[in-house]
Amino acid sequence: MSSNLEARAIMTRNLSDESDVRAATAPFQAEFPYERDEEAQVTRREFCNFLGLTSAALFIGAAGFATKAALDAREAVSLSPEHIAGAETLALNSSLNFSYPTERDSAILIRTADGAYHAYGQKCTHLSCPVYYSRDHQRLECPCHEGAFDVATGDVLYGPPPRALDVIEVEVRDGQVWATGRNASEPKDGG
Amino acid sequence: MEADLKTRSKPGQAAVWQARLIMLVMINIAQLWILAATVDAALARHYSVLLPLVVASGVCFLVTLSIIKWWRPTSRQKTSSGYVRGNDR
Repeated sequence: MSSNLEARAIMTRNLSDESDVRAATAPFQAEFPYERDEEAQVTRREFCNFLGLTSAALFIGAAGFATKAALDAREAVSLSPEHIAGAETLALNSSLNFSYPTERDSAILIRTADGAYHAYGQKCTHLSCPVYYSRDHQRLECPCHEGAFDVATGDVLYGPPPRALDVIEVEVRDGQVWATGRNASEPKDGG
Repeated sequence: MEADLKTRSKPGQAAVWQARLIMLVMINIAQLWILAATVDAALARHYSVLLPLVVASGVCFLVTLSIIKWWRPTSRQKTSSGYVRGNDR
């Protein structure tokens, strides 16, 4: 009750941004169950240690990510042909999502206006956002950073992606569409 | 306690502490950039730059460690009981 009166008194008088900043925030601070004065006391040594831990975490993160990428590059995945269910009935100028070669590798199959099938890994080569097929523009687009890929080749049309999409080879066998292989493209500058 | 702290602070020591903190923050920012570049390079399959980036991040970490562990104001001297300032002895 008294804190409410005190808060109301503070709110009614003119407060300065600089000198009365604590008083100005007092009514809101009262809602939270911690001692602000204690909370504000972070020593320089503690802050230094925190920065040291942050540095260690960033180093471990960079090393871990690089190690995982290097291991993934060495890993040989056996690719067996897989039937893409529902591809036969896919309408012209539309797309279908599927997985190839494993359940974790999402892919997108596109049937262009002329009836040809093209399939690509769905991860954008920039930061792994899922690309989608834009019917209006007839190209693959990444919604995250506005990259775009050619629907016939998977090449980068514009935007930040450094290389083309992974190409999934498709074959039509007895009227059924099969995925038969997956090729990762090299970076534009060959690095 | 506060008065005691005030009497113990010497001109120049605050500047050294500030310099240490600023350097640590700058190194952290550099490491953040290196991490972003590592992710970018890995996704782009630029495997040749991964090792230099990780080494650079490691060097930054070692510099951070050295700043925290060994960089002290010159008025502080190490004794068997820890660091003491010149006027404390």
